[in-house]
Amino acid sequence: MDLEYQYLVARLQEALACDERVGSQDIKVVLTAGRIHLIGDVPTEARRAAADEVAHVIAPGVVVRNELRVLELGEVPRPEAIE
Amino acid sequence: VIRIAAVGDVHFAEDMLGRFSSQWARLAERADVFLLAGDLTNIGSRRQAEALAEELSIVTIPKVAVLGNHDYHYGEPDAVRESLEAVGVNVLEGDALTLRIGERTLGIAGVKGFGGGFTGACGHDFGEPEMRSFMRATEHSAQRLEKALLGLRADFKVAMTHYSPVKDTLAGERLEIYPFLGAFQLAEAIDRGQAHLAVHGHAHHGAERGITPRGVPVRNVAMALIKQPYGLYCLDTHGALQVERDSAEVIVE
Repeated sequence: MDLEYQYLVARLQEALACDERVGSQDIKVVLTAGRIHLIGDVPTEARRAAADEVAHVIAPGVVVRNELRVLELGEVPRPEAIE
Repeated sequence: VIRIAAVGDVHFAEDMLGRFSSQWARLAERADVFLLAGDLTNIGSRRQAEALAEELSIVTIPKVAVLGNHDYHYGEPDAVRESLEAVGVNVLEGDALTLRIGERTLGIAGVKGFGGGFTGACGHDFGEPEMRSFMRATEHSAQRLEKALLGLRADFKVAMTHYSPVKDTLAGERLEIYPFLGAFQLAEAIDRGQAHLAVHGHAHHGAERGITPRGVPVRNVAMALIKQPYGLYCLDTHGALQVERDSAEVIVE
């Protein structure tokens, strides 16, 4: 991978953490075949869209594949007995 | 039996209003206390905390929280605390409280905690001032947790942190970031303080279950990990499940 790509991944991850609309240190950024892939779970559709915008600002002109999923919660679990 | 609902890393903001209201509204049917293990807001602003407070206002059982690193990001953790306390959340940081639940008492001690790593791969109070300050923050946090636990006189004691006290519940996270996810000093405090259960968040990609060196069960309740509105744990002298009963009277002492 081009060294500049590695720096770009780091800068994008930092931007995703610091952007007030996203605020996530949890988004995996993969740069491959000239495309940015955003991977992981976010709590809302708004944050998914904001992450996309941040990626386009940090890497203008690069194709962004937004593979973020909005986290879906399951049912309340059965209780676990702690002994 | 004491029934504990616990979740961390809700990362709440205005865009999540109403997200949990249906499940949290029924908490009293299933649990005696609701623990919130930090990263309650996404960036730690007053507005986000007020939104969460609104969401939590429907919870009628005692609510106890510690803050997480995200709750500090905006630079107004006191505002986060105040917003939550306004709807009855007890926010712990190096202190503890005791609840009477039926004929039993439950003591809860909490700190945010901090990083530093785990035995064999951890930082030390050595070298540059920045590094020493980092590790002293961890040591100080652990000491406060231990003191709070030792000060409790309760049938059951729970330790709540945001950062992890053990490596077990980090399994799944990248090894390189373990020192940013927790510290062994927290487990030492939990062991010395003779807790019956420890809960934490912070490690979204970790594992739910772990154990301290002296055998205290540790549960990672990060919402992104458990993928549920909360985890549910029962403390009982016989370890038996007894979940079908009326809600207990709970008095904050």
